[in-house]
Amino acid sequence: MRSPNIAGKTYSLMIWTPIKPGEEGALRAYLDGLDNGAGSPLAKLPRTHMARWIVVPDMPVAPGTDLRDPLGTQFLLFTSNLDGDVDSYLHELVALMAVEAAEVWGHCVGCPQPAEGVALKAYLHRNQVDSGVAFAAYPNASVKQIKTALDKRARLIDFAVRAQEMKPAERRKEFLEQFGAA
Amino acid sequence: MIRAALPALELSDIQGDILRAYGNSYDCASYAFVRIDCEPEQARAWLAGVVDHVTNAAPWSEKPLTTLNVALTASGLAALGVSQETIGSFSHEFRQGMAARAELLGDTGPSAPPKWDQGLGTGDAHVLLTINAQTTADHRRALAKMQAAMKDTGGVSVLYQQDAELLHGAREHFGFADGFAQPAIAGATEDKAPGGGVPERDGRWRPLAPGEFVLGYPDEDTSVDRARRLPPAPTGAMARNGTYMVWRKLHQDVALWRRTIAAAAARYPYGDARKLAAKVVGRWQDGTPVQTHPHGPDPEFDPAAPGANDFRYRNDLDGRRCPLGAHIRRCNPRDALDPAGKLSLRHRMIRRGMPYGKVLPEGALEDDGAERGLVFVSFQASIFRQFEGVQTPWINDGNIFGLGTDKDFLLGEPSGSGKMTIQGEKPFFVSPQEAFVVTRGGEYLFVPGMTALRALVDGTAG
Repeated sequence: MRSPNIAGKTYSLMIWTPIKPGEEGALRAYLDGLDNGAGSPLAKLPRTHMARWIVVPDMPVAPGTDLRDPLGTQFLLFTSNLDGDVDSYLHELVALMAVEAAEVWGHCVGCPQPAEGVALKAYLHRNQVDSGVAFAAYPNASVKQIKTALDKRARLIDFAVRAQEMKPAERRKEFLEQFGAA
Repeated sequence: MIRAALPALELSDIQGDILRAYGNSYDCASYAFVRIDCEPEQARAWLAGVVDHVTNAAPWSEKPLTTLNVALTASGLAALGVSQETIGSFSHEFRQGMAARAELLGDTGPSAPPKWDQGLGTGDAHVLLTINAQTTADHRRALAKMQAAMKDTGGVSVLYQQDAELLHGAREHFGFADGFAQPAIAGATEDKAPGGGVPERDGRWRPLAPGEFVLGYPDEDTSVDRARRLPPAPTGAMARNGTYMVWRKLHQDVALWRRTIAAAAARYPYGDARKLAAKVVGRWQDGTPVQTHPHGPDPEFDPAAPGANDFRYRNDLDGRRCPLGAHIRRCNPRDALDPAGKLSLRHRMIRRGMPYGKVLPEGALEDDGAERGLVFVSFQASIFRQFEGVQTPWINDGNIFGLGTDKDFLLGEPSGSGKMTIQGEKPFFVSPQEAFVVTRGGEYLFVPGMTALRALVDGTAG
């Protein structure tokens, strides 16, 4: 059967791990201190479309009902939409993001000590949860292709705006210079 | 879809000017932000004197010479002695305040909170008194009364005051008719439903549920699902008949706007500067929608007429009539995003803004250094979903409309780097997008109902 985690060429990864009682605050503080954007540890994984960690303190009461479904402990949810297969991605994760991965999952129940290498990868694998629905905005484009396209789009718009003021020959010349080879 | 019958609105318990506008007979307004420097008991004694004069929403037979309305910031609730527990039941964004959300709102560069007018966005503004007056004499009298009451009690003073004045023809400073397109609300302004309500697939319009604008009533979510509780609201007395208010002072650089449009219009192949400006706004200066009249304003157009705003975007999905990024299309996309307007109906707000400052003489292309702009006021049940839900993804970004990172051209761009696409046979790009509009300050406020105001005075609001 086809994996429920696959949408086109992308893979939806979810890892759900209980946080060690009493360590929620330290984990939150560590996550809060991480950079966003280019400085994010997740930027070290170039196949990542979008990824995040979420501390889930408990299940709220379902909206409009009084039904409670307590988790019993706080959990860490990690989600990532990535290019390609999950095995090689987790391999890269423990290798390229080793320091941060050890710190984050080191706060979770059952995490191997030291939290690194093959043992950590196996732990993450074991705690993976299948997706209910996998969705990707651009299922057949890789992160690299999307970044290249965005850059080209920005350059084309910039050209189109400036081209309004150009004479035809000048417009043609600059277009070929900028986009002729592409 | 079955809609439950809606309960009647308790108009005499809701403050005035929210559901129905006071109207254009009030030429002058003052927004006075009051700071409380005394114990809660003393502040409540002052508020007691104010509450007696607050204008509610009950229909009037004769318009009063002046009106008075009260709103509070989160720090204002604390200064009046409301418990932290009760304050905690208010929405997150309200408790944070507008300044803390500047990045999200696009208030950066010249619009960043450190550059705001002194007193705004610091937590020092506690109570907002809004005074409307029919004439300048009435206005002076009301202000004097307000000052005298503060002097009597002591410990409270006006921290910041912004006066505003209607411009001729109910225009804003860029020259456009403003403020006449408002959401139609069930039980209050149903007559505005064509063009103001929710566009339904069968061609009809229906008014919005009142809980979108006043707390304590079913909203668009709860009105179709009886099992659901009422929308989120603060606990205690403030749960009913109140609403959240957004107040922003937006400086307008009229000369810069005129120069930019004139320069772009010189290259625009499909019309003159008036037409280009209309494409940017989505309306001609008199208010005629570009969608219904793409070639010129309708000489017969009457913004007050029923159906003045009765139009949709379904027949214009490529933006050839009204550009996809036009200001009014961004702020209320109607059925542009889906046939039944489902993606826009939860993001409506009541606007009660007013211009401030003197008009820049017609034709002037150089700034005279005078302060002028718009006091933007909106009322909504959720600042996050409604005001911020428009400001952040719809005004400050273009992705949802297929416009990449384009922002609302009319509101400008602090870095002066943006552009707008006018769809057409050959698309036309308006650029550069300068900082036409700069935020001078603002606050997130709560407008309690009348019972809640009295509970605040009595110290029983929680």
